Amino acid sequence: MPASFVDDRRAAALELYEREPVPTWRRSGFWTTTLRNLRLEELQPRHYDPVQAVEDLPDVVTDALPDRMADGRSQMAGLLVQRGASTVFASVDPEVAAQGVVFTSLERAVEEHPELVEQWYMRRLSHEEGKFPAATAAFWTGGAFLHVPANVRLERPLQVVYLIDEPGIAQYAHTLGVVGDFAECSLREYCLAPDFDGQALHSGAFELYLQTGAQVKLAHFQDWGRGEVYDLSTKRVEIARDAHCSWVPIHLGGRLTRQTLDIITAERGSNMRHTGLYFTEGSEHLDLFTTDLHEQGDTTGDTVWKGVLTGDSRASYEGLIRINRGAQNSHTYLQTHSMLLSPKAKADAIPSLIVETDNVSASHGGTVGEIDEAQVYYMMSRGIPRVEAVRTLVEGYFEEVVQRLDDESLTALVRERISAKLAAAEDNVVEFTAQR
Amino acid sequence: MSLEIQKLHVRTEEREILHGVDLKVEKGETHALMGPNGSGKSTLANTIMGSPEYEVTEGRILLNGEDLTEADPDERARAGVFMAFQYPATIPGVSVANFLRMAVNAKREEPIKVKEFGQMLKANMDLLRIDREFTSRYLNEGFSGGEKKRAEILQLAMLKPEIAVLDETDSGLDIDALRIVSDGVNAMRGPELGTLIITHYTRILDYVTPDFVHILLNGRIVRQGGAELASELEDKGYDFVREEAGVADAR
Ligand SMILES: Nc1ncnc2c1ncn2[C@@H]1O[C@H](COP(=O)(O)OP(=O)(O)O)[C@@H](O)[C@H]1O
Ligand SMILES: [Mg+2]
Repeated sequence: MPASFVDDRRAAALELYEREPVPTWRRSGFWTTTLRNLRLEELQPRHYDPVQAVEDLPDVVTDALPDRMADGRSQMAGLLVQRGASTVFASVDPEVAAQGVVFTSLERAVEEHPELVEQWYMRRLSHEEGKFPAATAAFWTGGAFLHVPANVRLERPLQVVYLIDEPGIAQYAHTLGVVGDFAECSLREYCLAPDFDGQALHSGAFELYLQTGAQVKLAHFQDWGRGEVYDLSTKRVEIARDAHCSWVPIHLGGRLTRQTLDIITAERGSNMRHTGLYFTEGSEHLDLFTTDLHEQGDTTGDTVWKGVLTGDSRASYEGLIRINRGAQNSHTYLQTHSMLLSPKAKADAIPSLIVETDNVSASHGGTVGEIDEAQVYYMMSRGIPRVEAVRTLVEGYFEEVVQRLDDESLTALVRERISAKLAAAEDNVVEFTAQR
Repeated sequence: MSLEIQKLHVRTEEREILHGVDLKVEKGETHALMGPNGSGKSTLANTIMGSPEYEVTEGRILLNGEDLTEADPDERARAGVFMAFQYPATIPGVSVANFLRMAVNAKREEPIKVKEFGQMLKANMDLLRIDREFTSRYLNEGFSGGEKKRAEILQLAMLKPEIAVLDETDSGLDIDALRIVSDGVNAMRGPELGTLIITHYTRILDYVTPDFVHILLNGRIVRQGGAELASELEDKGYDFVREEAGVADAR
């Protein structure tokens, strides 16, 4: 029996969901994100049977996960995989569980740890934020829950995977994480799909709370493949006193993505580092809105986003720095860069700033550029063919961001995917750079 | 074995810059190409390298008799042409060592062995008195003028071309750096390398003695001679060539 606080929320959310029209996001100027082509009524949650071993998971999952260590142990402290609407695999290292760490589906956590979940569930998320936040709150199944008790330090990362491996699926996903006082951990959430023909939806909610002095490395890795996967998600991280979060969202594929990513430095001494990367191709559409919110003073932030666009893809990154009244002595910085590798791609980088107090430092900058032909010529003058020169320059452009990932397995995955995408776009890119 | 430039006319979108240049650099020879600012020296160097900014409207560039006039820069490089840039580009995110490895491998069928590459790099860095940590920095990012020039000469040493064009490698160097770079160039001189040293000043020619000197003025070679021509220029300045060539100082 799920606890009533979840059901109450589902009922309220459902009511709102049914009332709300399908949204269109418009911004001044040319930018519109529309769900006109999404056939929502044809998509359904689908349930799957559990699998017994990691090796039984689809390739798209096992390919993305780190190999076992030399001694046969997993490189992960825990792994939770949701396929469609079902949690199909959940394991946590017994040693880690013995330290009091809870890492299980949110569904089970609601049953087994109702007080703990109720204390945090949707503290910083609201079903009233729109039609899809309401849908997620109303319909989520499976889900992920993490609680790391105070003072526990985990060496290996905890891994969540949301998998969609067939068209026709609507996946409503909710991850809730709580990291206790002075605890340390690393959490990775991967959203994966193989290339398929047809539509699917991932409507996601993610909330993570860092309590006093906690230290968390958080990574989101999204590669929905070449199918028509729509991703409409809200992710929010709250950082309490003297806690630190390094958050790395990576977007490598999806037909249409509209995400809100917020980081709240909520108490004195909290600080964050936010490092984003995207690569869009074909007719993909990416719309990201991040907020770096400082609710109290003596907090710091550092945001860097870099993207590359090929094909006739579109990417918009809007980054808001907001420093509330009374949050004196906050220091933050945001920069966003995008690079166009095709004449038909369009990028938008919009940093903005709302500062309601004095004695803070906040700066931001954004650029949209193309590959510099002088750099290509320089490399070619050393015997390096144009294709390789362009690839190296793009990889070099991403290097600053890749250096900040601070996760070997993820770094290798990102490098591999980027070079595959560049190889796929090669003719297009070479033609474009040679023409100018 | 030679680089031969025949009746070369070169233009940008706006206008013609080189008006029929002839020049021949044989392997084993060291040539100096001198001329005041704006005379077209860098244009010639970049046209030899195949820069897309310049269009050859007449004439030819031959390497060992083979016509390279239409070849892409990477083909020319692999054929044995090298240019040290007056203003080298910055390559963010790519370390000096990785860049060198890529460039060395571009010329080879099989990638160079790690150990062999390491030894070659170390020997050349010693020659140019370059610190170890230098090779892990991103190429030209935040480099001083002198560091950039040294990185160019390091590439020259690693790539072992047949023809090297050095575009104002001496400018912006203090006397110590100039000596190090000149020592490097001298160490590479030999029967296998033809060098075209492009310079505005005669300074570098005190360290690297040329076999031939050519003076470029307003896109034409107006005088040629041996090393003594550089000394004459040193004494009299460019005005004497201008007067001799009957050109007013107007471009
Ligand atoms: N890419 C270019 N576009 C337009 N004008 C150029 C370009 N490169 C050189 N020029 C012009 O051609 C002339 C010769 O320039 P350059 O070859 O750089 O001379 P030098 O190297 O001898 O100082 C100058 O007037 C310069 O402004
Ligand atoms: Mg010049």
